[in-house]
Amino acid sequence: MAVPLPFSKSELRLLRALLRHKVRFMVVGLSAATLQGAPVVTQDVDLWFEKLGEDSISRALMEVGAGYVPPSAHNPPMLAGAGAELFDIVIRMDGLGAFAEELTSCVEIPIGRYKLKVLALHRILARKMAANRPKDILTIPVLRDALAAIETCPQRAKRR
Amino acid sequence: MKQHARSKSPAGAQRWARRLTARVEKVLAAHPAADPDNVRHTLILLEQPPLERLQRSLIRGRAAAIFKK
Repeated sequence: MAVPLPFSKSELRLLRALLRHKVRFMVVGLSAATLQGAPVVTQDVDLWFEKLGEDSISRALMEVGAGYVPPSAHNPPMLAGAGAELFDIVIRMDGLGAFAEELTSCVEIPIGRYKLKVLALHRILARKMAANRPKDILTIPVLRDALAAIETCPQRAKRR
Repeated sequence: MKQHARSKSPAGAQRWARRLTARVEKVLAAHPAADPDNVRHTLILLEQPPLERLQRSLIRGRAAAIFKK
């Protein structure tokens, strides 16, 4: 039986458009952790872009009927329009190196013929520890234990 | 959704549970401070493809948010 996708058709179109336009971004946060096997729950998919507001992002989003909304006094930057609801833009990644540096250790998850880059679990843990907000603190033991399980039993990880 | 090997037959389920228990013990031997539940749930999730793991997480996350309201 085919694996159910967590993304709707429009969400998938948006992700594929970003990948087709070679936009440099990766999935971060708890959605990235759960993709790697951590038993955590999340409500959205956080995306970290190397250069927010670059032309290729706008072109990709326009192609699928979505758009980039720059930050304003009361709102963070966001994606809007078709397929954008699930995705949040992350602008601060406490405790991590530059985007290019983190890209070298990221995990790749295939989505059709494209590969989605996902922040490595040990780096998600580092980010949560550095952020140190109450909601981050709650997830730290779970991420740490997940990492222990994955490192001890690496043969169980499925890449599909 | 993909069916676990453990659900195919009672004997298969027991074999799967024994293997899982052994793996949990292996992890706990190397990381004594780890929580057995976290370890067990991780090992179970690792048997699923990544996108299915995300699917489950989003479903449960949204359900939890609805119950909070």
